[in-house]
Amino acid sequence: MNFNIEIPASKNELIELLSEYKNKKYRIGAGCTDLIMELRKKPEDDLTVINISQINDEDFNNIKLSNNKIVIGANTNVVKICTNNEVVTNFPTLKEAAQNLASNQIRQVATIGGNICTASPSGDLICALMALKANLEIIDFAGNKRSVSILEFYKGVRITDLKKSEFLSSIEIDLNKVNPKNMYSGFIKIGTRKSMECSVVSLAYHIQLNENYKVISAGLAFGASAPTVIFAYDACDFLINKNITELKNNEIDEFANHILKYASPIDDLRATAWYRKQVLFNISKSILEEFSKTN
Amino acid sequence: MLKKRKLNIIGTPVPKHDGKIRVSGQAVYGHDINLTGMLYGAILRTEHPSAIIEKIDISEALKLEGVECIITADDIDVNNISYKRDHPILKKGEVNCIRDEIAAVAATSKEVAQNAIKLIRVEYKIRKGIYDPIEALEESSPQINKFISGKYKNKNTAEVFKYSHGNIEEEKKKSIVNVSRRFTLPRVTHACMGTSNITAHFDKLSGKLVLYSSTQVPFLYQRDMAHALKMNPSDIRIIQPVIGGGFGSKLDMYPFEPICALLSIKTGKPVQIIYSRQEEFIASPTRQPMIIDIACGADKDGNFTYRDIKIIKDNGAYTSWGATTPFVIMQAFSSLYQVKACKFEATAVYTNNVFAGSFRGYGNPQATFALERIIDLLADKLKISKAEIRLKNANYKNEITGQGLHYETCGHIECLEKVISESNFYNKKNTENGRFRKGIGLASMLHVGGGAKIYRSDGCGTTLKIDPYGYCTIITGSNEIGQGSETVLAMIASEELGIELSKIKVINTDTDIKPWDVGVHASRTSFVAGNSLLGAINILKDKLNNKAKQLLNTENSDFIYQNGMIAIENANEALALDKVVREMHFSEPSELAIASYFYEPLSQFQNKEFKGNVSGTYAFASQAIEVKVDTYTGNIEITNVHTAQDVGKVLNPLLLDGQIHGGILQGIGYAISEEMIYEEGKLLNPNFHNYKLLTASDVPNIHFYPIETNDKQGPYGAKGVGEAPLIPTAAAIANAVCDALDIEVLELPLTPERVLKAINFKK
Repeated sequence: MNFNIEIPASKNELIELLSEYKNKKYRIGAGCTDLIMELRKKPEDDLTVINISQINDEDFNNIKLSNNKIVIGANTNVVKICTNNEVVTNFPTLKEAAQNLASNQIRQVATIGGNICTASPSGDLICALMALKANLEIIDFAGNKRSVSILEFYKGVRITDLKKSEFLSSIEIDLNKVNPKNMYSGFIKIGTRKSMECSVVSLAYHIQLNENYKVISAGLAFGASAPTVIFAYDACDFLINKNITELKNNEIDEFANHILKYASPIDDLRATAWYRKQVLFNISKSILEEFSKTN
Repeated sequence: MLKKRKLNIIGTPVPKHDGKIRVSGQAVYGHDINLTGMLYGAILRTEHPSAIIEKIDISEALKLEGVECIITADDIDVNNISYKRDHPILKKGEVNCIRDEIAAVAATSKEVAQNAIKLIRVEYKIRKGIYDPIEALEESSPQINKFISGKYKNKNTAEVFKYSHGNIEEEKKKSIVNVSRRFTLPRVTHACMGTSNITAHFDKLSGKLVLYSSTQVPFLYQRDMAHALKMNPSDIRIIQPVIGGGFGSKLDMYPFEPICALLSIKTGKPVQIIYSRQEEFIASPTRQPMIIDIACGADKDGNFTYRDIKIIKDNGAYTSWGATTPFVIMQAFSSLYQVKACKFEATAVYTNNVFAGSFRGYGNPQATFALERIIDLLADKLKISKAEIRLKNANYKNEITGQGLHYETCGHIECLEKVISESNFYNKKNTENGRFRKGIGLASMLHVGGGAKIYRSDGCGTTLKIDPYGYCTIITGSNEIGQGSETVLAMIASEELGIELSKIKVINTDTDIKPWDVGVHASRTSFVAGNSLLGAINILKDKLNNKAKQLLNTENSDFIYQNGMIAIENANEALALDKVVREMHFSEPSELAIASYFYEPLSQFQNKEFKGNVSGTYAFASQAIEVKVDTYTGNIEITNVHTAQDVGKVLNPLLLDGQIHGGILQGIGYAISEEMIYEEGKLLNPNFHNYKLLTASDVPNIHFYPIETNDKQGPYGAKGVGEAPLIPTAAAIANAVCDALDIEVLELPLTPERVLKAINFKK
């Protein structure tokens, strides 16, 4: 595993480098917790790693509140995400996904941008950000900005909409329409270990209710059961305008089936497709069952 | 004035002697050794688990700059290794498992060595391998290992162990319930944090070989290495760097070690081989996988009547210590709980899988799993409590078992009673019907606690000296592999000689210096090395007492050693220990404050029927484990582990707790998560990503209750503790899961998927 390293100190230097490397092989690395593993497995010749971890940029490395949005710099590490007050209060699904990612050591260096751009079908932060319908701000080598919904960002197994010479700059999430006590939000991660685990199945949910428990907005996404993380549109639509406390068993099953129908898991060492489907169905049900129990 | 106190140091939580250097990164592991002019070795392993080697072409690799030496089987004059001598160091003509070594390179850097390995061209003729031991026993199967003599009728049988006591047919007649099952146990690995490593330095001028090796058994290793290399054992010096985990994995010598020595002998330069993590998974030994057929019975009062056991062990392509685990397995079946008759047969069968070595528990976790599962099934059939049936049949003090094990002390009943009451076992009935189901399971274990007489000697030597400044040096035959033996030995010396711990040094890493010891295994070190040290202390104290008598002009020799002083109790006059030592050295007749002692446990060899009192003492433990199973996902949450262990006497509660916690987590891994997954002899998960070794965040609530039975054989009454904590864990968890879900568990590990399948099957 041999590669050259470039270490930009600012976003502008990164943009310059991207311009310089337009026709050369490069990879962007921040925490490098996935990248090094990948390069060890599949070394590439003449590769340059652009290490963005030293970029000194307040916006790129932190979480900010602006205009009814939370803006998370792509270079923000996972620890900051699970301890940030705005995230903890407004987006429990993201906080829980971050809190259960890998291990404490890895969370110190792994970044949200890295998790998004690695595009793993089991990416935990991706899953939560989909449930939150986040938008991604992308910058190219000329400094041009564009915005894309995370729901449109994934094109296939580990393939994203990010073009060569572009980088992910920040993630924006709209603040909730309702106050936090009317929100039902969380993240379910299924695996064998409590840490250092790659999800076998994951499910993120972010549901906003009115005072009478009627669903006014829903985001549901699952991971590790399809070529990409998947947003379950029909399951969201199914919930809209329903009273979440009055669902009957057959409706709960129908809801779970609206999620399951998007799944196309494979057999691998960690689990069979059979297991993934069973569990995805069961945990989908559990969201609504648990709500009834606790409210 | 000195006053006798019972114990000052023993029983107190002294932190590990080597703790500071380990946590501060200053410990020198084998991986940190860097000798002048050292070369780096790498090994080419086969691509196919079963194949004819048609051609090996090293010409391209030899051209690579920095390559100093390449060896294949044709370049070396060596003997086969393993206790059966059925394992060639480098393979010639054929390969028989995926870890087989074909060639080795020594080069000026790791990268060059690795690149050279890639340039060696091997032409194979691939054969159909045999990966199922039952298939290997079929007449039509070809012979896999060609180096064994025809001791057994079947050509793929490596080893057979048979044992029996009592009249099994009579006991069957007395039984009103009978249960039989087949249990299948997986292949798991030690996963030491420090990967396998060795540095060899052959000096051409003297013809002597120095090996920096992580072996657990330096003196046996010296002998095995000498046999392999056709050298004189005394020309080989073994130095042990700090060892990053043993757990039994370093109890045997494996090919990479003589290979490294050979590369050094050929080049005349030091050579180092360090495994990558992937290599560690592929090419270090494993726990022995087994298929256990067991039939048991009980009479109308719930007394165990008989056990009839047949085991098939997948031996892999060569033999290592895994094949001999029946020594321990048969003890569990013959002597854990009282049983009137027992018939046991275990067969190790060659296959094209990798071979198994020894692993903490040495077959006992497998045996205990089968036995304790079937005890639950017997209780169910008898409709009596799972606690009652165990208490009724538990082992007791002064029992001599059918196999001849003599329990001079025995905490089995106390262990059971303790975990039953502390876990509130009788009131933990599973009544829930929702998503989460709770259950509780019980299991016990019996293990040697005072060494195991399997070699000609199970002893340990000690040389002890006190210098003229009052510092003490313990030169012990025993080894430190992280278990804390240095600390315990220093505590014993401190206790007996009244020397503070910071003035005690333990020398234990060099075969040229230290006296003989059989090695770290069988939970024996504190017991055997502790007794050996106590023997040396007694001799040295006689010498010191004599000098003190002379200096104090007294006939009384009942001295107390405390705080660096020697004195008669309540006397006004006390002598500084260092002064007594100086007087010994420097006044006529001059004498050193030095003593040597060799301790051999009172245990016996077993006879040909495997009967005899094989250990100095025996350890017992019981666990009651509570689980909460998620029927939606199959995940098992271990909510509480209650463990009581007959440790004889607590020497150091801190280190003991470490053994308990580590052992239990290893046992939980065996129960619910760890499994080496093979397809046609190839390991599919040689990494921590897919080999689910548990982490610190998976440690459950562990409630530990040490039971002190004060065995007169042990130092201060102590017994071996190292292996016991993990032995009953998988059995107790499986029993708890069955209690929670009312399912059958016939194999491990209980992965979420297996559990969910069992739940669905039941529906």
